[in-house]
Amino acid sequence: MSKKMRPTGIAQKKRLASDIRKQLEERSVAEEDIICWAKAGLNAEGEFQDTVLVLNREYLWIFTDCNPNRGNNIHVYKGYTEAAEYAEHEWEVTHVAVEELERVWIEDGVGCNIFVYLKKGETAHRVVCGFTNRYKNEMHNLVRALEQTSRGEVYEQLEHTEEYCPKCGRMYPDEQRKICPHCMDRKNIFFRVMDYFKPYKVRFVLLIIATIITAALNLVWPYLNGTILYDRILAKNEDFLHSIGIRNADFVVALLLLILTMLVTKLLLLVLQILQGVWTVQMVVGVVRDMKKDVFGTMGKQSISFYKNRQTGGLMTRVMSDADRIIDFFIDGAPNVLIQGFTMIASIVVMLRISVSMSIVTLAVFPVLILMGVYLRPKIHVMYGRRHRAERSLNNALNDNLTGARVVKSFGQEEKEIERFTKTNRNLRDREIDITYRQNFFQFTYGFAQSVATMGAWFVGVYLLMSGKNMNLGVLMTFVGYVGQLQGPLNFFSRLHNWWADSMNSAERLFEIIDAIPEVQEPEKPVVLGNMKGDISIRNMSFGYDRNRPVLKNLDLEIPGGKMYGIVGRSGAGKTTLVNLISRMYDVREGSILIDGVNVKDLSFDELRRNVAMVSQDTYIFTGTVAQNIAYAKEGAGMVEIMQAAKLAGAHEFIMRMPDGYDTMIGSTGRSLSGGERQRISIARAILADPKILILDEATASVDTETERIIQKSLGYLVQGRTTLSIAHRLSTLRDADYLVVIDNGEITERGTHKELEEQKGTYYKLLELQTKALQRQSETF
Amino acid sequence: MEKEFTLSQMEQETDEMLRIRYLNKENAVFQRTGTGFLSLTVGEETYDRVQVVRMFPVQSTEDLLSIRTVGDKTKEIGIVEKITDVTPETAEMLREQMNLRYFMPVITKIRQIKTEYGYAYWDVDTDKGSCCFTIQMGGNGVVHLSSNRVMIVDIDENRFEIPDVEKLSHKERKKLDLFL
Repeated sequence: MSKKMRPTGIAQKKRLASDIRKQLEERSVAEEDIICWAKAGLNAEGEFQDTVLVLNREYLWIFTDCNPNRGNNIHVYKGYTEAAEYAEHEWEVTHVAVEELERVWIEDGVGCNIFVYLKKGETAHRVVCGFTNRYKNEMHNLVRALEQTSRGEVYEQLEHTEEYCPKCGRMYPDEQRKICPHCMDRKNIFFRVMDYFKPYKVRFVLLIIATIITAALNLVWPYLNGTILYDRILAKNEDFLHSIGIRNADFVVALLLLILTMLVTKLLLLVLQILQGVWTVQMVVGVVRDMKKDVFGTMGKQSISFYKNRQTGGLMTRVMSDADRIIDFFIDGAPNVLIQGFTMIASIVVMLRISVSMSIVTLAVFPVLILMGVYLRPKIHVMYGRRHRAERSLNNALNDNLTGARVVKSFGQEEKEIERFTKTNRNLRDREIDITYRQNFFQFTYGFAQSVATMGAWFVGVYLLMSGKNMNLGVLMTFVGYVGQLQGPLNFFSRLHNWWADSMNSAERLFEIIDAIPEVQEPEKPVVLGNMKGDISIRNMSFGYDRNRPVLKNLDLEIPGGKMYGIVGRSGAGKTTLVNLISRMYDVREGSILIDGVNVKDLSFDELRRNVAMVSQDTYIFTGTVAQNIAYAKEGAGMVEIMQAAKLAGAHEFIMRMPDGYDTMIGSTGRSLSGGERQRISIARAILADPKILILDEATASVDTETERIIQKSLGYLVQGRTTLSIAHRLSTLRDADYLVVIDNGEITERGTHKELEEQKGTYYKLLELQTKALQRQSETF
Repeated sequence: MEKEFTLSQMEQETDEMLRIRYLNKENAVFQRTGTGFLSLTVGEETYDRVQVVRMFPVQSTEDLLSIRTVGDKTKEIGIVEKITDVTPETAEMLREQMNLRYFMPVITKIRQIKTEYGYAYWDVDTDKGSCCFTIQMGGNGVVHLSSNRVMIVDIDENRFEIPDVEKLSHKERKKLDLFL
């Protein structure tokens, strides 16, 4: 049953089921009048039952499957595709007039979301149906369509993002990427990776030559210590001596010569091995470095959303391990295809020439060996993965205990922690044992099968020898040597495919980063402002990280240059998002933001970033000296400048208390700073950057009152002559603001000076009362 | 516009937030609204629609329920400590509301798990019918709720549950092995 479900050919556009279309036509709704439709998997009781919602200009039609418990019903989630048209259903049809609707919305649940509406003039919410997360996008689109239709607007359909590969029907691992790992062009990637080897052409060629010579010498070896030794010299073959120019039947000389040849061969092999090693290392280091450089280069150019979408850890492993994995294949894998193939074919040819019957006996075992390689090895891989996870949880347990030592001790939980650690430790041991067991088993069976092949050859060979049929001891030895020679290629080819696919996937991922186009693009011909005044105007601007959830809605705000504006609102109201948009960390979805009358999208990054600086709550200190950290935004700043900035930021005193003053190492490897100290360093950074527009995002939220006062003071210097936007929970931080804006739920709910807002008695007043009067009352009671 | 604000009102709000109010058959009357939801009357207060939210959705599906107002700034009205504290009819109503919020089919049989290119494609039977879904490999697709209880989270964050891994057949466990 499941095999049928495997997605194929979903490229065709989803169409409303024919029986529903027919029912609609009977109610004189033509297909082209349908504005939007969506399927929901659950009913109004939260059980599986198909519900289809169809919207036309006048009505929302609700089709409910009358017979949800059909025996063979399969509930299909994302990743599998539904049948293009489901079997004829018996539908129960109801409808609601669009003009009767006051509001429709979606309430998110845990695994079940519901579609709810409210009729005009009523107070009771009505649930239409539930739906799983599978249909969330469809349902959100329907809500949008309904809202727009009831406002009399034309529904603009969002561009449909294809989720499945049109060729094979597999789901894209990443919707944005639209690369199907099954259908992607591996050849292209291969050649692209080859480009990285171009600077090392000579070494690469040398390496290949060395490898070929090694292979050839390895091929000669069985011949030397088999046929020559046994059949020529031991068998005292005089013709052979003549042919190499030794007279007097001096077999000792011949033996010495042979031994010498064998020694030289071995020596050559060793030298080649060393050379190969050296060349490989030189090349690998270079290529990996170049790849990482490219990746890091493009990562730096990416917009913030790039980092938000991907976990930082994931990014790191990509850069680090993917490059290694690619190289691994290109050095060990690719060149060996030729060599191993050559060795294998040559060995088999030689073997066949020596004895067909022996070859057949030996080669018969090989398919078994290949199958074992293909099927057993991946199982060991799975076990490695499991060990890796066990290791990780052990590390986590260890980490918890080291960093949380104080909590563990203060609650007296040492015993329990030891027990927890022992448990994970034991788990790791078990996984380790599993791997060893599995590997031994593999080696045992593999080795045994190999031995069977060799023994088979021996048996047939000795039998031939005994019956005196065209067989010599030396030839037999040579033959057995070639059997051994085949092991390498066999091993190699059994894992080649996985190897190739893995490395191409890694390469693809790396190129994805290298090729990624930043979401926020710099204009090609930027407007040059020269001297920025710092007027900001925000016009009818809307934004949301996720299309279904607007964070800011239709904002309008004029901030004249040189003024300080305070932004107040509860957490999650959209304050930080607003300031992020001004410095163009993201692009607005609708409306615009202008600086000095120019859209921020038309300014060069350089001009924008030079003139807009941000001091935020989470300060980052780079590894380096205090001076380097302060001068981060202004390279080449003089010592005096740095000192002045630090002084203004109130950082000078604590810097001077450190033994090396401004040259003290701070950051991850150096001295650790307190929250207030970090904050002041980042303020000094902003002062030195000397921006026209300064953004303070909760700049004093994480420091004590005294430190806050110092920072407040230094901020007082900083805001002079600049446009300042300050976000704060504590209203005391905003007492110098010329104008205040209250944001709630993505909208500006109040605006005005302190006095005006106080008189309005709204949210601001509430907050003010809360913060001042509560304090007053406290002081009265004490 | 919000009501005029006074300090005493704020303190009252804070007190309310800190107070634990248990609802039971004596003090609370739940009623179906007839439009798919529940209304509630507690003493003087009436609520047109309330939500039923589990406090410990993993450990307890029927006890310790938070009865809350609806909307962006949802607030707790009271707590049903044990579902037996209310009448059986009310308990049924609460269950109906929870059904609208929590949906997690229980896997009864694993037919097939196929892994390919970073995804695992599951084909299972559940208490609510056959389901085919997909999880991300190497992510948080399989969550251990306790040593034998497992929750499977698909790529859209739909949830499925295996209450006891030990109760699966040997064959099924082998298919699952990759994720444990």
